[in-house]
Amino acid sequence: MTSSTTGVVAGERFAALREHAEAVYAAWRHPERPRIDVAIDTSSLASGAGATRAALERVAADRNAAVDLGRNHGYGMQWLQPLVTITWPDGTSVLYGPVRPEDAPSIVDEATGRVGAAAALASGVLAGDRPGIPSVREHPFFANEPRERRLLRNIGLTDPESLEHYIGSGGYRAVGRMLERHQQPEQVRQLLIDAALTGRGGAYFPTGVKWNFLAGAPTDERYLVCNADEGDPGAWVNRVILEGDPHLLIEGMVFGGFATGARHGFIYIRDEYPLAVERVDQAIRQAEAAGLLGEDILGSGFRFTLEVIRGAGAYVCGDETGLLSSISDMRGQPRIKPPFPAVSGVFFKPTNVNNVESYSNAPFVLRNGPEWYQAEGTEEMHGTRLFTFSGDIPRAGFMEVPFGTPLPALLEACGGISGGRGLGALQSGGPLGSLLPGAVLPTLDTTLNAFRAHGGSLGSGGMIFMSDETCPVHFNEFIADFVEEESCGRCTTCHHGNQRMTEVFRRIIDGGGRREDRHNLEMIDTTIQNSNCQHGQLSPTVMRNTLRHFAPTYDAHVAGHACPTLTCEGLTRFRVVDQSDPRLPEAVDICPVDAFRGAEGDWEILDDRCIRCGACTDVAPRGVAREPVPARPALVPVG
Amino acid sequence: MPLETEARAQVRALIADLKPNDGDLLIALHRVQHRYGYISREAMEVVAEQLDLFAAEVYGATTFYSEFRLEPPAATTVRWCSGPACRLRNGTGIRDAMLATLGLQTLGEQTADGRVGLTVGQCNGTCELAPQVWVDRTEDHSSRVVGQLTAARAVRLARALRDGTDADDV
Repeated sequence: MTSSTTGVVAGERFAALREHAEAVYAAWRHPERPRIDVAIDTSSLASGAGATRAALERVAADRNAAVDLGRNHGYGMQWLQPLVTITWPDGTSVLYGPVRPEDAPSIVDEATGRVGAAAALASGVLAGDRPGIPSVREHPFFANEPRERRLLRNIGLTDPESLEHYIGSGGYRAVGRMLERHQQPEQVRQLLIDAALTGRGGAYFPTGVKWNFLAGAPTDERYLVCNADEGDPGAWVNRVILEGDPHLLIEGMVFGGFATGARHGFIYIRDEYPLAVERVDQAIRQAEAAGLLGEDILGSGFRFTLEVIRGAGAYVCGDETGLLSSISDMRGQPRIKPPFPAVSGVFFKPTNVNNVESYSNAPFVLRNGPEWYQAEGTEEMHGTRLFTFSGDIPRAGFMEVPFGTPLPALLEACGGISGGRGLGALQSGGPLGSLLPGAVLPTLDTTLNAFRAHGGSLGSGGMIFMSDETCPVHFNEFIADFVEEESCGRCTTCHHGNQRMTEVFRRIIDGGGRREDRHNLEMIDTTIQNSNCQHGQLSPTVMRNTLRHFAPTYDAHVAGHACPTLTCEGLTRFRVVDQSDPRLPEAVDICPVDAFRGAEGDWEILDDRCIRCGACTDVAPRGVAREPVPARPALVPVG
Repeated sequence: MPLETEARAQVRALIADLKPNDGDLLIALHRVQHRYGYISREAMEVVAEQLDLFAAEVYGATTFYSEFRLEPPAATTVRWCSGPACRLRNGTGIRDAMLATLGLQTLGEQTADGRVGLTVGQCNGTCELAPQVWVDRTEDHSSRVVGQLTAARAVRLARALRDGTDADDV
């Protein structure tokens, strides 16, 4: 078969897939009878979407209601999970949440024509028009999103388990066109370079340039790897794509394979995302069955296959060389660079590693061109990126914003700090990222430079807003413990330096801070930076931020032996302050260490038994208070 | 080669389709743990033979990843989310309250009767429910999220699990 006929074959095969998919997708958007979709994703399931779905099924069956049940992914407003969408035959689609099992009758009523039955649960109109309900796009949470979502374009609107929905909404079209028109690998790579797409794992290295490295490899045996080992606590942007639109990633990797000459790819997903593993695995099999992956993609002769590797709980595998070791039947220990992965990667063969979101941007560049891609973002950083928000905010969830979005606007979108408190600190970039004080918020936007100016990092999508009641020193113990625990153990600087850092912070929060600790921590900092991989090199960053930006709080702990926010265990104690609180007996009963002594009207807490868990103040907040430990007597010079 | 026992034959059958130099080690270990609840020394030896690795390499990998166990799990394992959003809402108090209630010294241990274990869990991005724990039942591989916890509720949950009373409503 000549190359021109393979192009014709690919074009025809894709046209057939597309025709079928568009029909399926049109029927989804304009169903014959009302359809109720329950969001099924890790977040919704945690909030009880399974029970909601079962209740809807039961109510619909009991009433013999003329409705169908379907599935989508949550739209981003995770604080409103479980989210439910009703779509009517005229194409109107409305989002409701939180929908508990007891709300099932009103949702079914609403779907079957009793307009307004579920009005109290309405969160926004997704398509069409409903008087009295604003468009979901007008919700303040999405105020900073571009007018049209890119990476999230299908999220909440399609069934993530349907290949037809993905193709019907424009997916794989650029793959079909690329094979039909015999685009060359270098053309594909050049498009990414022209778009200036950068890696979303946190390093923001140009993706097209990385692909050029692999394309120039001296052997044909080469691999493509997707880093979906999203380990930063508080970041789950990759999970959204893996669970919500897995074919977007697969399409991106098909371009990656074509452009770099790799014929096989691995998607390494962290063990904590079982639903993502399931959905991506299923999507790969769907793509294979449709001829979009496999030995002869769309009859064009182009071969590319994919497989999922499920991780097993090792943060350091998120370092690309740790990931390569892990795939290659070894412990997930990072390797020394050079050689870089493009020279020696999976089983020591040339390999390209990109983040989920990096690959997932490629289809948009290929579909719409570099100019379109650059229409969002700043001069230096083009396009959009996904962020997840959590912490002391009323609205936790995910959104997509252009680079350069001001951080104050993002905090406002999340509803500000809960309880009317002020912003104490912002944590971005995970445990290897940064901890910046609330005071710098007005100077921050979602660009690398804005964060670097304060010694911070933009990171890979996780943003945690903390109220001014958060103790940064106590938070450091979490970071130190995490980076110590997740050290691979190779470099003494890292595994031992991080042990020392953890010990120092534990001692400080236990009330034993010493004047020399600052100097010791600074020495640990400069030592750990000499580790081999990024895990070690970056592990003291949050501590460095703390010493720089939270010096008065740190000094209060060490020099004054006081925790201003009454958080640190050794600097606070629990005391019965109101014997008349009728809930005190309950507090006595709940204490897991039997620390209360006395009788009604005369309770006291034995301080050396108390573990500061706070269970007593949970049940008797008036009767028991957490207060500073008494000031230590100052050391008096002898003589 | 060690004597082929019934147990070894079973493990061998479980991973018969896996090959050396194919990126199959994690798949093999996941399968073994899913079937037996932990990874025994014998299983590591069989995996090593199947994948043409040294048993020491398989042992090295098994102990490297925090998800793999070398001992059978408790009947119920509580995974305590160590993530930042949980941390901000008295996460450490919740951890210490559960450890104390279960009579454990540190995460990773289980009660003497094997009924309840408490381990560290990693953030999976359901921070709207912080602070939270996951209650995993070994018998049916089920997992239940208990979110928006307080230390007091954590004590009640741990007591119910420890005493074998109904923990579903806690």
